[in-house]
Amino acid sequence: MTEQAVPGEPDRAPEPAGDVDGEAILAVRDVAKHFGGIHAVDGASFEVRRGSITALIGPNGAGKTTLFNIVTGFQRGDRGEVIYDGASIFRRPPHVIARRRMVRTFQITKALAAMPVIDNMTLAAPDQPGEKLTGLIFRAPAARRREKEVHERAHELLDVFGLREKADDYAGTLSGGQRKLLELARALMVEPRLVLLDEPMAGVNPSLGRKLLDHMHTLRDRDGVTFLFIEHDMDVVMAHSDEVIVMAQGATIASGPPEEVRNDRAVIDAYLGASVA
Amino acid sequence: MTPLAVSLDVFGSLDFWIGVGLLAATYGIFTLGLQLNVGFTGVINFGQAGFMAIGAYTMAILVVEAEISFWLALGASILVAMAAGLIIGLPSLRLRADYFAIVTIAFAEIIRYTAVNARELTGGSQGIGGFDGAFLDLSDLMLEGLDSFGLGDQFLLPLLIVAVAVFGLLTVGMYFLQRSPWGRVLRAIREDEDAARALGKNAFAYKLQSISIAAALGAVAGWFLALNLAFISPTQFDPLFTFLGFAVLILGGLANYFGVILGAIILWTLLEGLRLMDLPLDASQTAALRYVLVGLVLIGLMAFRPQGMLGKRQEMVLGD
Repeated sequence: MTEQAVPGEPDRAPEPAGDVDGEAILAVRDVAKHFGGIHAVDGASFEVRRGSITALIGPNGAGKTTLFNIVTGFQRGDRGEVIYDGASIFRRPPHVIARRRMVRTFQITKALAAMPVIDNMTLAAPDQPGEKLTGLIFRAPAARRREKEVHERAHELLDVFGLREKADDYAGTLSGGQRKLLELARALMVEPRLVLLDEPMAGVNPSLGRKLLDHMHTLRDRDGVTFLFIEHDMDVVMAHSDEVIVMAQGATIASGPPEEVRNDRAVIDAYLGASVA
Repeated sequence: MTPLAVSLDVFGSLDFWIGVGLLAATYGIFTLGLQLNVGFTGVINFGQAGFMAIGAYTMAILVVEAEISFWLALGASILVAMAAGLIIGLPSLRLRADYFAIVTIAFAEIIRYTAVNARELTGGSQGIGGFDGAFLDLSDLMLEGLDSFGLGDQFLLPLLIVAVAVFGLLTVGMYFLQRSPWGRVLRAIREDEDAARALGKNAFAYKLQSISIAAALGAVAGWFLALNLAFISPTQFDPLFTFLGFAVLILGGLANYFGVILGAIILWTLLEGLRLMDLPLDASQTAALRYVLVGLVLIGLMAFRPQGMLGKRQEMVLGD
């Protein structure tokens, strides 16, 4: 067995050149998904620049979360294409996508409540041979070594996120805001290249929210992590994103720098409820 | 004897405790599998008696009909049970937990009815015996050794020793497996399958592994059941026995392997004690009373210690 993260599941060959320019880490092309007669996502196309903090906004019901689900493999799109890091990930299962270092959080936080905070963290680490029964038996020393590394990394991150003292508590005893922090810290254990956050600020008090945003900037500036986040708070979107993508009624209707998008006619119409042709 | 006297003599006899020990070890091993599925993976398995039947029948048929060595037949029966676990799991483990539970109980009943009707192979409701020659040789050897302790006439003692040793080893083994990174992924799946998948874990593959290991444990329990009675028949694999396993699980506490030991001993002491105690009742009344009492114990437990004897209350409360 190799040291590779996904034995037996080799990455697909990169798509033909020209499909994605090297700048984009994620490209979504004409993705659609309907549930019965409802077109939740209907022709969404956009790109996320590598190393950017990109916001995905739109009125309720615009299809933002469904699009997240399709990109991360939790729902199968009806048509379209999703290119991540040079290869198609469209309709691949979530765990395969996550192993390629794209990690997401959920609108309703998924802290693993009856597990200690530290286990939430160490769980997320990739390349642990001890997660396989064969690895546990035949690569026991490697598993132990990895476990030690993973614990160190987990404690570092818990320090950064101010959760160090909570390490041995059950995640279910954390406050809502702390759970959001834990979920982000846990996502970082995956050593991600792209992080998708579904409403990271929802239900978080302003000071914790501030902290979350600071972390996002630090990680982008220091480690080059790309962020794509769904957010309803326009002040946050305008102040913290490099690019904004706007969705309405299942389609992407505008994208660009925040100032530009803010003055876009179609965007104003979508938010004020005027009919979009 | 006065009509209302209750004799507790039975609790003083070695025979009684050997019998209880054998049943506790057998159904303890059986319940280790349930603990893995229900307590640690969040997969509800109501078909454990079916896996037990597969283990016992495979072993018996291979020895009696195919005349394969008893020891080889033990290994083969584990493999067959694990394969059955995979076959049940592959199409149905993607279902929600409650639907999967229904599939497993149907599976166990299919196995039992097959055992009733495939008379050529299984002897039908007459059952099948004569598979334990090789074990009896070992047993006689052990009895010679036990003779020096004055226990040479305890015919079932060697089986008890083997069963308890296997139960103990498997419990410790499962305990360490649970503390490994592999076990951590299982617990994450129990808590929230989608969160585990979002972190790169193939939840389906882990659930399949969980069910096949439980099936293997069921098969091992099947051997001891078969050796204890020197005979197997379909009624021993009634769905009731799966639910007795659940009673052990709840008594001992979810998500704790050592709770299984405690639960198994308590349940079988109760059941066997009531069966053999000299009660001023007729046999059918005593039989009914056993389960009435088990029910009362479970109700009392739910009221005063819902997490079971060794379960963690906090995990139970936070679990949802």
